[in-house]
Amino acid sequence: MLRLNQMKVHTKYIAGLIVVIFFVLCPLFLNSERSYFIYFLYTTFIYITIAQGWNLIAGYTGQVSLGQHAFFGLGAYITAITWRAGLTGYFDPLAFLLSGTGALLLAAIVGVVLLSKLRDDYFSLGTLGIGEILRVAALNGGSFTEGAAGISLNSTAYKSMNHYYYTALFIMLFTLVVIVLLIRSRVGLALIAIREDETAASANGIPVLRYKILAFSIGAFVTGLCGSLNAYYIFHVHPPGVLSLNWVVIPVLMCILGGAGTFMGPILGAFVLSIAFELTSIWMPEIHPIFSGAFIVLVTLFMPSGIMYYITNHKSMIMRRLRLTVFKWMNQKA
Amino acid sequence: MENHLLELRSVDVSYGDAQAVGNFSFYIDKGKIITLVGANGAGKSTILNAISKIIPTSSGEIFFSGMSTAGLKPEDIVKLGICQVPEGRHLFTKLTVLENLELGAYPVHTRPFMKDSIEKAFTLFPILKERINQSSGTLSGGEQQMLAIARALMARPKLLMLDEPSLGLAPKVVSLLFKTIKKLNNDGVTILLVEQNVHQAMEIADYAYVLQTGTCKMDGHCHDLLKNSDFKNTILGIRE
Repeated sequence: MLRLNQMKVHTKYIAGLIVVIFFVLCPLFLNSERSYFIYFLYTTFIYITIAQGWNLIAGYTGQVSLGQHAFFGLGAYITAITWRAGLTGYFDPLAFLLSGTGALLLAAIVGVVLLSKLRDDYFSLGTLGIGEILRVAALNGGSFTEGAAGISLNSTAYKSMNHYYYTALFIMLFTLVVIVLLIRSRVGLALIAIREDETAASANGIPVLRYKILAFSIGAFVTGLCGSLNAYYIFHVHPPGVLSLNWVVIPVLMCILGGAGTFMGPILGAFVLSIAFELTSIWMPEIHPIFSGAFIVLVTLFMPSGIMYYITNHKSMIMRRLRLTVFKWMNQKA
Repeated sequence: MENHLLELRSVDVSYGDAQAVGNFSFYIDKGKIITLVGANGAGKSTILNAISKIIPTSSGEIFFSGMSTAGLKPEDIVKLGICQVPEGRHLFTKLTVLENLELGAYPVHTRPFMKDSIEKAFTLFPILKERINQSSGTLSGGEQQMLAIARALMARPKLLMLDEPSLGLAPKVVSLLFKTIKKLNNDGVTILLVEQNVHQAMEIADYAYVLQTGTCKMDGHCHDLLKNSDFKNTILGIRE
């Protein structure tokens, strides 16, 4: 039994490694400046990262944050402002670090206030306010944030799409590794315990507030990194762009679609939703948002806890059908 | 300072404007079983939650082993050696029996003893060993209560607080449970028991406090109280 489990884990690692190698090699076979596929992967990596950050605080710890766009926007603004001031340069690791840390600090400070006082829906509403506060602050920031027009950056610095692609890949892998290590540790068990029953968790000696803030801050850190990368990509940081609610709504949808509180869920959800969005925008550009909305409604109707839960609960059925299809296909060939 | 294990001195607890517990004082000595009895809404669970710091007290003091617990958080209380089995069991229903037990040994000082404590829990409740990898939500009511107690014991408490352990259990399971509680006490764990099942509680307890609308109505040794006509009248509903 134990050997079987070990083997399964082993195959999982190998499968993961193959996928990563595929992603690493992609730009070698495609012209990344023109390739639509590279652009598609780049945005999906960013969405996976933000979705996993949200998954940590909401999926595992059960605290539904709707303020992820605040961390994204703050990261973008920190990168833009430090670059404009000459403190950092184009694709500067220091800028990434500052952006991530800024978002982390904001989450920690806001977390102490919100997570200790507000529960459930009230926490969600509170976090929704952070983004709004930042947006208004950015609009009224005078020459510091350059108001509604936003900060335009030196786009002649642009070198190659590969920079963006590999950085997004790296940030995503970093996030995934952090999440796996965290979830496999005692900390992960404690986070799930908090989600399952907060009273029982604290009655068992788990420092509930500290762990909630930890999960919230780590999620904010990786979201801040994505914001920073986005600032370098767009070369223009303005409130409707980087502080848009899209940066929270879409990753949250991906996470729920794939299965919140599972590791593979946000990854699967991000790919499925990205593909669905892209296909509909190609085939029926006029009604694209309508179709996307309908798609989300259908999935929540028929797979309310996400694709991952559906797969784990119907594993044998899916495998049987798969085997049957392969068998039929082979017969036809013969 | 007297050497009580736990002492409450004129503790007040309020939910908003409503006072749940007023001017409540009591103490527990090491190795005893003390029970708090009383009707619904008498404030029994509130007192346990106040001791665990899950809800704040508005005035009064709580001492554990002669030390004030003012300003401590729930996790600090567990470290001190006070463990609560909350009403309604509060298991992590999606996690397995083993994971629930592991979470019970969360405080750092209890971790080295985790294996030992799990073994002990399984000797006390053999049925849990059979269910080790089953998610705890699928256990029967009695098994869930056993798991809740076993989980609390993982933190190696000096004082175990049980909130309505007999709630919703079959009479046969209840008597088994109370036997186990007595056995735990014989092993040296001090027990604070909150019960509506007054008869059973009084049978195993040494001393009882009777609560009514947040204040202590009377207290005494269990065998004395059971003979007291006033007690019989108000709590047991027996008229003579």
